[in-house]
Amino acid sequence: MTIKYKSIKEIKSMISQKEISYKEIIEEVYKLIKENEDLNAFITLNEEESIKKAEEFDNNSSNLPLAGIPIAQKDLFCSKNLRTTCGSNILNNFIPPYSATVIENLENAGCISIGKTNMDEFAMGSSNETSFFGNVQNPWGKNLVPGGSSGGSASAVSAGIVPAATGTDTGGSIRQPASLCGITGLKPTYGRVSRWGMIAFASSLDQAGPMARTAEDCALILNEMCSHDEKDTTSLEDEIPNFEESLNNSLKNKKIGIVKDLDLSSLNNDVVEIYHNSLKEFESLGAELVDISLPNLSLSVPTYYVVAPAECSSNLSRFDGVKFGMRSEDVKDLEELYVKTRSEGFGDEVKRRILIGSYVLSAGYYDAYYKKAQQVRRLIKNDFDNAFKNIDVIMTPTTRGPAFEMGSKGDDPIQMYLEDLFTISANLAGLPAISLPNGNIQNKPIGLQIIGNFLDESTILNFAHMYQNETNWHMYTPEGIKQ
Amino acid sequence: MDKKTVTTISYLSRLKIDGEKEEKIIKDLSNIIEFVDQLNDVDTTEIAPLKNPLEKTAKTRKDIVTAKNLKKEMLEVAPSANEDYFLVPRVVE
Repeated sequence: MTIKYKSIKEIKSMISQKEISYKEIIEEVYKLIKENEDLNAFITLNEEESIKKAEEFDNNSSNLPLAGIPIAQKDLFCSKNLRTTCGSNILNNFIPPYSATVIENLENAGCISIGKTNMDEFAMGSSNETSFFGNVQNPWGKNLVPGGSSGGSASAVSAGIVPAATGTDTGGSIRQPASLCGITGLKPTYGRVSRWGMIAFASSLDQAGPMARTAEDCALILNEMCSHDEKDTTSLEDEIPNFEESLNNSLKNKKIGIVKDLDLSSLNNDVVEIYHNSLKEFESLGAELVDISLPNLSLSVPTYYVVAPAECSSNLSRFDGVKFGMRSEDVKDLEELYVKTRSEGFGDEVKRRILIGSYVLSAGYYDAYYKKAQQVRRLIKNDFDNAFKNIDVIMTPTTRGPAFEMGSKGDDPIQMYLEDLFTISANLAGLPAISLPNGNIQNKPIGLQIIGNFLDESTILNFAHMYQNETNWHMYTPEGIKQ
Repeated sequence: MDKKTVTTISYLSRLKIDGEKEEKIIKDLSNIIEFVDQLNDVDTTEIAPLKNPLEKTAKTRKDIVTAKNLKKEMLEVAPSANEDYFLVPRVVE
């Protein structure tokens, strides 16, 4: 029996049929990690502790919903007594004295955190090429990027090492790598999942979510990830539904918004064809297509590249070499300690964003850039509010094309920023959105994005699950279609 | 965006830009600012800024002591500390 490429649902069934022990599952995970070392998907492993937990499950039967399910944690979540680097040199030696609420919730549900996954430094990147710990490889082809910033998580799930991983999404960092690696990834509504213990990048945009092989598995994990958390002042108190219950609802007469302002002409032709085929599939399931207008959508990327750097420059001011993380040697005074530590600790992309943030927040530019971007942000949110009066979901391609080669975006940061063209608006408006595999282009997967209304994860999971019932794109692995 | 501006914002950011990287940084930042300048074409008269998608004021908690004394754990992860304090280079001569 193997767990490679298996879903959580399948592993749970293997456990209940006594086809595999908890310890055998975890041992296979570490075997798969070693076989896939070239992917560079992990920064830190948690082997001894994980085996111990698995043995405990073998010795004492458990009713926990995700008992013994191995999960990879993005290295942006603080994990008690386990190194947490955020992909940065500045946190190279940081061992947190506490765990993020997401990690606590998942472990309380029985998940075993088998290790911490590689990522773009401080989640700033769309190709996992900015990590201090090196590039992550996409299992679908040599030298292909896995996307970013949750590139290690996407790569590990895609290679079948673990059935699921956690990710975080500030402008597309769950959905874009999910698309490029052929897996399913969901960014919940802003405030649905606690941000406590997540290393902050842009606090008004950051949200954690699940990455897995299927929408159904995403629902299983989301059920456990969500909680109202007093420790996060933006954590919502709204009722948390059982996301599994609505997966099989009929799509008959449900309305799909198609954004007529979206210019698809700059996209790879195959992406457009695959997108239209998916829409036809949803029509055959009974859903209707409705034209909608989001006139300010094209302003999402420039708006984001003011708001996100502004918040990042403020959040990352805490890294100063005093209370935790690395500290540079040979400094003559406190000022030099700050400057030298930060200059040696941060990589180029992080520095670039801190500088932009300082610029747009500085005296004389605040109104022209930061306030202006926040005003346009409201226009973008208003567009979504209007559109959702008449529709249930919005569909777009997740990405402009499939995985690209490492280094191919050159050194122009804007080319990389445009990778998140379709994903960023959901973060600006705080809406939930999912990416699921909907086709292959020259044996490279690509994804469909479904954006939902505020707090309506259930509906996007329902659409995604019904699609996966009818199609097999989510069954493709880098080694061919799953049997 | 010129050398003087980059010097100012790198000071505000407490970052030192190496001489050989300065030109590239000026070019990148200029391109990014030029890219986001398209926002200026949008009429936002009387549009209130959206700071956060929830638009709720931060919720207050009941005044109950929940904090534990984590001094030892916190000082342990510091790059330099004694039993009571974080240590930094001398500030007052």
